Amino acid sequence: MKKDIYEKMQILADSAKYDVSCSSSGSDNNHKTGELGATQNSGICHTFTADGRCVSLLKVLLTNYCIYDCAYCINKKSNDIKRAAFSPRELADITINFYKRNYIEGLFLSSGIIDSEDHTTNLILRVLKILRYEYKFNGYIHVKLIPGADEKLIEQVVSLANRVSSNIELPSDKSLKLLAPNKTKEKVLQPLKFARDYSLEKDKKPIGMSTQLIIGATPENDKDILKLSSALYDKALLKRVYYSAYIPVNDNKNLPSIITKPPLLREHRLYQADWLLRFYDFSYDEIVSDEFPNLDEQLDPKTSWALRNLSFFPMEINTVSKDELLRIPGMGVRSVFKILKARKYKSLNFDDLKKLGISLKRAKYFIRCKGKYQREIPFENDRIRTALITPPEAKKIIQPSLFDIEYSAITGEL
Amino acid sequence: MILIYDKTFEGFLSLVYKVYYKKLIPSKIETKYPNTLLLEEIEEIITQESNAIKVFDAIKKSFPKKCFEMILNIFMCDSKNFEMPLLKYIILGFKNKNELFNINNEEVFFLQNLEKELFRQVHKMCGFTRFKELEDGSLYAKIETKFNVLYFLGKYFFKRLNNQKYIIHDINRKIAFIKNDTYVGIQNIASFEEPKLSTSEKKFDKLWQTFFDSTAIESRENKRCQQNLVPLLYRTYMNEFKK
Repeated sequence: MKKDIYEKMQILADSAKYDVSCSSSGSDNNHKTGELGATQNSGICHTFTADGRCVSLLKVLLTNYCIYDCAYCINKKSNDIKRAAFSPRELADITINFYKRNYIEGLFLSSGIIDSEDHTTNLILRVLKILRYEYKFNGYIHVKLIPGADEKLIEQVVSLANRVSSNIELPSDKSLKLLAPNKTKEKVLQPLKFARDYSLEKDKKPIGMSTQLIIGATPENDKDILKLSSALYDKALLKRVYYSAYIPVNDNKNLPSIITKPPLLREHRLYQADWLLRFYDFSYDEIVSDEFPNLDEQLDPKTSWALRNLSFFPMEINTVSKDELLRIPGMGVRSVFKILKARKYKSLNFDDLKKLGISLKRAKYFIRCKGKYQREIPFENDRIRTALITPPEAKKIIQPSLFDIEYSAITGEL
Repeated sequence: MILIYDKTFEGFLSLVYKVYYKKLIPSKIETKYPNTLLLEEIEEIITQESNAIKVFDAIKKSFPKKCFEMILNIFMCDSKNFEMPLLKYIILGFKNKNELFNINNEEVFFLQNLEKELFRQVHKMCGFTRFKELEDGSLYAKIETKFNVLYFLGKYFFKRLNNQKYIIHDINRKIAFIKNDTYVGIQNIASFEEPKLSTSEKKFDKLWQTFFDSTAIESRENKRCQQNLVPLLYRTYMNEFKK
């Protein structure tokens, strides 16, 4: 039976939804007069799904038919699920029409492997060519590269897309062998390395690349994961690493049971640590070590670091450098800039910080203002830790009773 | 003393002129006479173009460009009472322009944040505006916003819909940004009829809904998070939230 377009959309969007990456940022505005579309450096979210994730791109698979049988994947060959495929023309038309109505920033195209790696990449290329050449579309296009495809084809994809990626999925070769017998880390990284080398050639715009790691499907600890991410950032291989809490979709003896809940908190802490790597100039071994290989679930990674390194604190807010300010728990980049701007005019105290709208919930235990430290909690590791973890007591609402207040029964006077 | 002006930019500049040269000390700036009787003195400022231009030129000349632009932007935040802080800000700038960047100053901080709020709204609307295709192939969007962001939106879409004709219609302010083959700019819309949609509109509307629904992951559902990110205020014309 032929599937109608709505059913196809339903199947192929559903199959693509576990891919986390959806950013449309990092590409400079490139509109051309008389053409359609432009990218925005900041990235733009067009809506948010019921799970609170941003929708920026039309994220679909070209097809969910696949010749591979990776244990963690919903589209694996041996799964009995509904299958569908868009034709390149069909998908390009949907993209343009969605774009014109301002539903999306562009296309995120991934695909199951149909027939062979090269054939699949050729189909993806077909979509890109229709969009770029026929519709003169300059919007954002993110393509998931197909590991094992011919380098000539990858080269063409890279020259037409704004960003390409390839999912490592599992942080170690051992886990890959166990769960994705057709893949090796080498093979997964091959298209990324190639795309980097290609885009680093002269007179080409460097292309942004990203990858995704599944968290909690295999026994790697946070140190293994962050070490890998930081290596990938250092080698300028990637702009972003995404972490995805493992959501069981298949039953397999090598995977956690299907009833376990996705480790969302761990995923959240990993993202926080990732931010520290990219924007706060931390190195991975400051955040995790052999002694503490996993991130503390109760405290964010920056606070944990600060508690292990109390000798740097409390910092005098009015004199320390920008880099030092960035190391204060609870203090974000925006707050740091506010402090830098404000302290040019006067020496700041706690009240000034509050007036600037800077949250002191965590920061107050790690700072001094004009030499003063807050009074409630002494500067000791355990005491601060307890104060940070214990939720503040809910203020008791005292309902005044009529008889609480003494007043004259005759005049009603208080 | 309470000052009354006509809510126009020229009116406000005339007010600045009056305050400056007559050394008035206003306690409030309103746009209409208060309903209740007050003991305070009330003065209505009559908009005078020549005075407005003088003030405008003086600000343009002596304020840093960033601050000058901010004053214009603040005027787009029309649902907020920005008049008193803005007046104080302008006076502050004429006294000492270095103080215009001192965020310890209450007015500077307030206005900078208000401007940020405006830009945040512009940014959100860049994503949340929804166009429909009309019979003649042009695109039509309705918006309802807290601040007047039409100019910014029009400019933004000029880049991305460069080969399209489009209209962005601000329903409450009765204005529209129009871009077609012969005209680009903002016009007043006194009255309008619901335009006819193109035949393919229904198909893509339904496809979008289908995509939107199937891309959510049930085991991670978090409606509160969703509502923080797309407040109900913005959902009026977003088709995926129409059920």
